[in-house]
Amino acid sequence: MAVSDNRPFFLNLVIIRLPVTGFVSIFHRISGLLLFLAIPFSVYLLDISLQGSTGFSRAVDILNMPLLQLISLLLLWSIIHHFIAGIRFLLTDFDIGLEKQQATCFAWLVFIIDVIVFVLLAWGIFL
Amino acid sequence: MSSPGLQGLRPWIIQRISAVFIAVFIIYIFLLALISSPFNSNDWAAWVAIPYNNIFIGLFLIAVLWHAWIGIRDIVLDYIPNVVGRLLMLTLVGSTLTGSGLWGFKALFMVFIK
Repeated sequence: MAVSDNRPFFLNLVIIRLPVTGFVSIFHRISGLLLFLAIPFSVYLLDISLQGSTGFSRAVDILNMPLLQLISLLLLWSIIHHFIAGIRFLLTDFDIGLEKQQATCFAWLVFIIDVIVFVLLAWGIFL
Repeated sequence: MSSPGLQGLRPWIIQRISAVFIAVFIIYIFLLALISSPFNSNDWAAWVAIPYNNIFIGLFLIAVLWHAWIGIRDIVLDYIPNVVGRLLMLTLVGSTLTGSGLWGFKALFMVFIK
């Protein structure tokens, strides 16, 4: 046991030093949690947007609120990362990219694609 | 759940099937939004009232809720060790998802009423 005394025996995410693959993974989880929290609100927007022109414009007004725009950007990032990292994990299921070096490459690729797609979509939606 | 060895396999496979369905649907809606012109409330309601669209939005909703349930359940089981805490949290999550689903179906159905 002498050798392993310094190893962390708990998974405190603030203290533990994650490899890049670990960041893909934990952000997949965090983004999933954020998207879950957005479900009731999204359903609410769907409901009022279908209730004639009054409800529709109310939904548009809500989405145009500055705070909501900020949250929308966060949720946009969440969808993109959850989507791209999700594809990477599906590849993992088919034993693709399991070697350490390949896995690291894939992880960086996920973040690079994240950024590109996020910039393109944020540009398209907000400008 | 006849075989104990298969207990984790069902949610695992549902997680992946729903993921693929959700991904394809999002890409489809995104491409549709890209090519479609700006729409008003009538266009929107009319589009949702087309049976195929209505059904597929409903299926999408089911896929999202199921996918979310499995994912959040995993998070709860990972981070909440005690049984009472788990039970409370899973009940809260389950109710939220079920409520969202019923609300969503109500919204999708009401398009046909007016």
